[in-house]
Amino acid sequence: MLQALKSLRWAQPLRALSTSTAGTQPIVSPKTPAPEPDKLYSKLEIELRGIDPAVLKSYTWFATTAADHLGIEKGKCWSPRKAHHERMTLLKSVHIYKKHRVQYEVRTHFRYMNFHKLTGSTLDTFLEYIERNLPEGVALQASKTELQQIPEHLRQPPEQV
Amino acid sequence: MNFLKKLVPQVALAEAQLLSRSSIHTSAVCCRVQSGRYRITTKRNRPLTYEMANPPHFIGHRKSWNSWNTSTLEDGLRPSQTAIEDVFIRKFMTGTWHALVCSEVIIKRQHNTIRIAALIRQAITPRKMYFLIGYTEELLSYWMQCPVTLELQTVGDKNDVIFKYI
Repeated sequence: MLQALKSLRWAQPLRALSTSTAGTQPIVSPKTPAPEPDKLYSKLEIELRGIDPAVLKSYTWFATTAADHLGIEKGKCWSPRKAHHERMTLLKSVHIYKKHRVQYEVRTHFRYMNFHKLTGSTLDTFLEYIERNLPEGVALQASKTELQQIPEHLRQPPEQV
Repeated sequence: MNFLKKLVPQVALAEAQLLSRSSIHTSAVCCRVQSGRYRITTKRNRPLTYEMANPPHFIGHRKSWNSWNTSTLEDGLRPSQTAIEDVFIRKFMTGTWHALVCSEVIIKRQHNTIRIAALIRQAITPRKMYFLIGYTEELLSYWMQCPVTLELQTVGDKNDVIFKYI
């Protein structure tokens, strides 16, 4: 995968060949679109939600190890101490017996991972690898922060306000 | 008869002796929890698997969940439809492999696929087992409209899954 990334970064576009004699027409290569520069991302934040905290912990270990192999800078990886509890208190019996209730609870555990300074191709590859190996019962939400150049029309201050 | 107990202590003694022989605690059904718990038999010969032996308050500690999906999480999608599909899959599995399933049916949902895992008794020939696997996978994937894979493990003897006798 590393070699594939290197080839993506260092690929050069085809250059048009031209001959020295004036009479013959220069050979024009088929029109290739100018390569777009890779997007740059300052931060990738991954939020994991799961039922079992042990599964979440093991998955973060897997994701951080993959990031280390790819050379991605790891940020803060943390999880809140307590889970989110959704509780329901219902009547235990079908008819009367108001004093006897039954309580159900659904717990959602959270975990956050931050990665910094990624290129577009690295981020796409990494996210796809992570998402393909997502275990059952775990939900993933990724938020990316992209860095862009200031647009052309905003680079110079306006003459009139 | 209570007034007699205070006057004549012998009556109280006799009653206490009668009561101490059968020590059964009784309460109304609504006051106790009886989900996922099995009553102890006098002969102590009722077999229980590990899943049956641990009551539901041990889920997450000594037990694990039987169906793994993201529908019950916060902002999860289609929880009720997933639950009904799980019930249907479990009934279908126990019906197709009649008297052959030795454990609970575990259903895992990953992206678009459903993976079903169970312990099966080795009571039928492998040829019939392959047919049943293909039949189940084909029909379930048609009904659920997504790829379904079976991950079965066979057990030689059904006594291998018994954890304790109650």
